[in-house]
This record gives sequence, structure tokens and C-alpha cells, in this order.
Amino acid sequence: MNEEIKIIERKEIPKGAIMLFGFPDVGLVGVIAASHMISELGLEEVAYMDSRLLPPIIVLHEGLPHSPVRIFGNQNVLLAVSETALQGELIYPIMHSLIDWGRGKGVKMMISISGIPVQDRQDLEELKVFAAASSPEMLKIAQDKGIEILREGYMVGPQAVMLQYCSTLGLPALTLLAQCFFNYPDPEAAAKALEQLANVTGVKVDVSKLLEKGEEIRLKARDMMKRTQQELTKMRKTQEYDIPLYIS
Amino acid sequence: MAEESSKRRRSIFDLIDEYFENLEAWAERVRETIMERPSWNCRTCTVEPLRDIMVTSNEVIVTVDLPYAEQNTIQVKPVSSDTIEISAKMRRKVSFDDFGITHYRGEFQRFHCQTRIPVPVYMDRMEIRFKRGILEIRLPRKHEYEIPIE
Repeated sequence: MNEEIKIIERKEIPKGAIMLFGFPDVGLVGVIAASHMISELGLEEVAYMDSRLLPPIIVLHEGLPHSPVRIFGNQNVLLAVSETALQGELIYPIMHSLIDWGRGKGVKMMISISGIPVQDRQDLEELKVFAAASSPEMLKIAQDKGIEILREGYMVGPQAVMLQYCSTLGLPALTLLAQCFFNYPDPEAAAKALEQLANVTGVKVDVSKLLEKGEEIRLKARDMMKRTQQELTKMRKTQEYDIPLYIS
Repeated sequence: MAEESSKRRRSIFDLIDEYFENLEAWAERVRETIMERPSWNCRTCTVEPLRDIMVTSNEVIVTVDLPYAEQNTIQVKPVSSDTIEISAKMRRKVSFDDFGITHYRGEFQRFHCQTRIPVPVYMDRMEIRFKRGILEIRLPRKHEYEIPIE
């Protein structure tokens, strides 16, 4: 565990849960999905991150301070979410700490929810969700559920660090990436990602309200999208559009 | 040997690389400074929409995210040879209260922004469409001169 980052537990943490990650990224897919899950499943804050590495930000809810990086949960699910855009250099220590913490709690699987930007998103009627995994066994689980595999390419951001670190530790992990807008909040993509999450894990979340409130969410999420966009530029997120040159 | 190489003069390519790196860093700082302002304007009761610009070989594509926009109120006007102004009325009024914010007061019912087009374009040949709440503006590029290849 990174000594500069502490995870403070507020409630008893269940053993053997599935740990999910919803971090600011393209289309804010992960954050929108996480926020919807919290309200639909009535997840409670079970832990939060405390670190001097984090920007000097608190999030006020009902006048009380909260860490921008928190973990919500119930008996089956732990959901790590950030309410602020994270600088690229923080992603390694934050993800490693969360994964180490989850590992200590006997988490059985880690799944990151995010997006994959597509240029013709505006014209897409049906959004696809792709998966990448930490091991061939996890890839097979996704394939058996009918999810298309992201075979070749680059991945940039928290989900990239998660897959690599979980692969090193031998932890089962999956990243679900819904086709989305790069720079605009995309509730439809978040809904698609949640549908596939239910397909893989059995954790069902009704997405009808998410789709009904799509415009409201897009308006509300503008500021966070703008900040995230700035960080994605610094992180060279557009590298995900690149065609890799594999050295075998 | 190592000392010799460290004393070696940097090539013109190193200097050019360094110049562009510095320029990029400066542009980034300027961009951040410009972007550091609220996206709401209480005096004009307007909201600044998210937008994006893509320059291709033959056109510039500007997209603008306009949730709640009434399609028949969308206006795109060239205000100079390199700037367009976009505005649209929302179907409903939105206030800070709607988002649980009680320490600011204000209601908004309009999107408004100005966007600079980074390369010369034909403003009079602009094409506009609105789909899924996203406004798309296509502007053909002006290629004012071409360098002949011998």
C-alpha cells in the first residue's frame, strides 16, 4: 500500500465483493454510470481516500466535507468513484492503493467502467461495449457473455493502470468500454456500459431513469467534463486513436 | 568520452524540438488561463456550452453540445472572418437550485458562446445540422495558395 495514500473505512467492508471503478474519462461514462448505480442501488459510502497527493479539494454535500475519491458499497459491490478530474501523475498511486486495498478485502473481481471515443458517435444508433481483461480467463468470461474484445490498440487512463496492475498481481479484472463522445458527457454510453456490467456480473441496474434524465445530466456534467478534458489532453488520451506498432 | 559528448553542441533539430516544446507548453498555459472562468453567466442568464473543433484537409467541423436546446432557436452567425457566435434557447429554465446549489442565485435559459476558427474558411458556405442534441457546423476551408511540387 502506498504510504502517502490512506483509505479510511467508515463502515464494515464485506468480503468477496465485486469492486467497480468509475473515474472521470472520455464522455464521463464511468462517473455517470457510478453516480446512477449509487442512487439506484442505494449504495452507501463505506470508505474514502485521504492523501496529500490529491488536489486540495473537498466536495461539500449538505454542508459537510467529503473526499473527492470515495468508495460506496453494499454486501455485493464496492464502487470506487472520483468526483474530480484526476491529474495523470495521480492515477498510478491512486489506482494501486485502491487495488491493494480491495485485494486486502478479498475482492473477487475488479471491473472498470469507461468509454471508448468514436468520431461518428452522433450518427451511431446502437452503441457497442468492448472489453479488455487482465487474463485470458477473464477475456473468455467476457466473450462468453457476447461482449466484443478490444483486440489491438492503446488504452490510456485509470482503466489502463488497473488492468496492468491486476494482471501483475494475478487478480481477475475487466474493463468495459462503451462507445461514446470524447468531449461530451454521454449518459447513453453509461447506460450501455451498465447493461453489460449486469450481463457479466449479475448486478442489475435499471437504466430507464438515466436515459430519461440524459439532457439534465449532460448539462450538469459540463464543468466536470471540461476539467476532465484538460487532464485527458495532458495525458495524451488521443493516443487511443493510434494504430500500435507491435514488437513481437 | 562521456564528457566530450556532453560538451557536444546541440544540433539544429534539437533546438527546433526544444522551441516547439516550449511553444506547446506556452500555448497550454494560455489555453488553461482562458478556460479558467465559470461556464455560467448570471448577468446575461446564459450558459456556455461544451464545444470542439476539428480541422480536416478540406473543412473545419465545429460541434457544440446543446442539451435542452430548442432546435428552431439555434443561431450560428459569423461575427468576423474567423469567429462564429452560437446561441440557442433552452426548452426549460435551469437554475442553480435545480443542481442543489443554494449559495448562488440565477436562472438560465440560453446557450451562448463565440468560437474562433483556426484556419481560413468560407463562412458563407457553412452547413449546419442538429442531431442528438449536438450541433454540427461544417465550414469548407479556404486554401489561399498552394505550393507546387516539382
